Amino acid sequence: MSPLLQGVITIVVGVFGCVGYFYAANLILDKVIFPPRGPQAGRNINRATAVRPWLFLFPAIFALSLYLVYPVIGSLWRSMHNRAGDEFIGLDNYGFLFGDPEFLQALLNNALWALVVPAAATFLGLLVAQLTDRLSWGNIAKSLIFMPMAISFVGASLIWKFVYAGDPDIGIINAMRDVIGLDPMDPVQVPFWNNFFLMAILVWIQTGFAMVILSAALRGIPEETVEAAIIDGANPFQLFFKIKVPQIMGTIVVVWTTITILVLKVFDIVYTMTGGNFGTQILPSYMMSFMFRDDGRATAVAVVIMIVVLPVMIWNIRQAQKEMR
Amino acid sequence: MFPTPIQKRSRATQVTYQTLLPLALILWLLPLLAVMLFSIRPLSDFTNGNYWGIPSSFDLFANYGRVFFESDMPRYLLNSVFITVPTVIGAVALSCMTGFALGIYRFRGNLLIFFMFIAGNFVPFQILMVPVRDLTVSTGLYDTKTGLVLFHIAFQTGFCTLFMRNFIRALPYELIEAARVEGVAEWRIFWYVVLPLMRPAIAALSVLIFTFIWNDYFWAIVLTQGPEAQPVTAGITSFNSQFVAQYHLMSAGSIVAAIPPVAMFFAMQRHFIAGLTLGAVK
Repeated sequence: MSPLLQGVITIVVGVFGCVGYFYAANLILDKVIFPPRGPQAGRNINRATAVRPWLFLFPAIFALSLYLVYPVIGSLWRSMHNRAGDEFIGLDNYGFLFGDPEFLQALLNNALWALVVPAAATFLGLLVAQLTDRLSWGNIAKSLIFMPMAISFVGASLIWKFVYAGDPDIGIINAMRDVIGLDPMDPVQVPFWNNFFLMAILVWIQTGFAMVILSAALRGIPEETVEAAIIDGANPFQLFFKIKVPQIMGTIVVVWTTITILVLKVFDIVYTMTGGNFGTQILPSYMMSFMFRDDGRATAVAVVIMIVVLPVMIWNIRQAQKEMR
Repeated sequence: MFPTPIQKRSRATQVTYQTLLPLALILWLLPLLAVMLFSIRPLSDFTNGNYWGIPSSFDLFANYGRVFFESDMPRYLLNSVFITVPTVIGAVALSCMTGFALGIYRFRGNLLIFFMFIAGNFVPFQILMVPVRDLTVSTGLYDTKTGLVLFHIAFQTGFCTLFMRNFIRALPYELIEAARVEGVAEWRIFWYVVLPLMRPAIAALSVLIFTFIWNDYFWAIVLTQGPEAQPVTAGITSFNSQFVAQYHLMSAGSIVAAIPPVAMFFAMQRHFIAGLTLGAVK
């Protein structure tokens, strides 16, 4: 029972800590530091107003800089050191990476992932959203399609191991091949195509996400535009591609970029399915192969991942900035 | 939203539509169904080669009983609870405050800090791995649940703040102004005016963060090792090496590991979807 008690205490202390911090800090600010009375009452109120937001922000900024800003700089610094971290070796780690065929393979595979998975997931999600829209049991169908999203990547990979198992009696793929009369094979060992088999798992998970967002967007399309198009004699395909898709383009782009960023970070699937063998290495799983062995090289890979993500990230911030004006 | 509702289309289209859709659905869920079927089979079915037929006996309780009583599974599950629940509470509490500050107050640096949170949201976690691991080792938090919780809270704050700030921005600002005119102290405005209005956002965000944290695997294997502190995502892999080739137990274990977030999802579906929509569209 002790861990349970410990957990409850942690929660209570945490919540009361937050509330207490927040109450006390505001009280001190209002009563002690800048009290709104005396000769400088007006100035004090202004000062208190200027300081107050920072009171609310302080805990989060502190946490963010300890766990985010410091590590990013730390990683950059670390990637220019040797395995033990005691000798500065400049860009040697990066030199090693670009000379390593496995790294180049991982880079190439990663590019494939970033192209295929968001496209496939967005397309399937849009398809499902359109097909189940206005269907009496559409919501049940959506829930079921969405369910994989709640399962962890590891859990999903373990489930898909049963699909791809080499034993024809266990693996669904091989069971199907058996029915048609083909010999069993190991899908995750087929060169090149095994990448796509692994991508299927992530598409399976992410389609639900794309579907939910896009179906909300489809619902939001003004009914009049659809009606007008029908009266003008548009067929279902024209209606979909020329009327509906352009109107939800913004949402499609958001879904696409969100999944792209996710794809660049995901490593669980490759790590549990193949461990990066059989030519399925991607950058995050390649990095894991250096974990606990060579921090310099591991962080160098991390920096490369960061550089790859950077354009998408900047683009996203730009978008947010535009929306603000 | 086809021009003609499917019910009014020709008979043939209707039939194709109504058979193809469930078929596609079953195909979609086939991996899950197969694992569920495997998890209630007795071991003898696998040795006899009866993989896909009707199970010779339904060993639901026997298989799941072994998962719960003969492995470290309950411990991993409990660890997951003790990691996930404090993280959800901490991250949501923090982000309510930061969201309030960024959404309500106009001050110099507001946008800058907001963009910092957005950027923090997109930073690949790989780049944090080595320094964060060193940090937890040097503070003695390595391989503890506390270390994992602290880190998760810090890392999730970016996304949560983004979420909360956008939600608070959409609230009617007049309410806050009215309260200010009445002379209500700022912390009271937060506590009695804004917080009650944020309930739907808090619910949605909690469900979302719950699944994020429950399903985390990367930090679980970077910051912890062994059944003392590891959550179920990491535990399931060691569980599988304990029961190699005992497919019925491996599947039962996978199901057990997946049930909490899936149950959470079905129970709180509305909030979950609201959360995803709110979090993505902005």
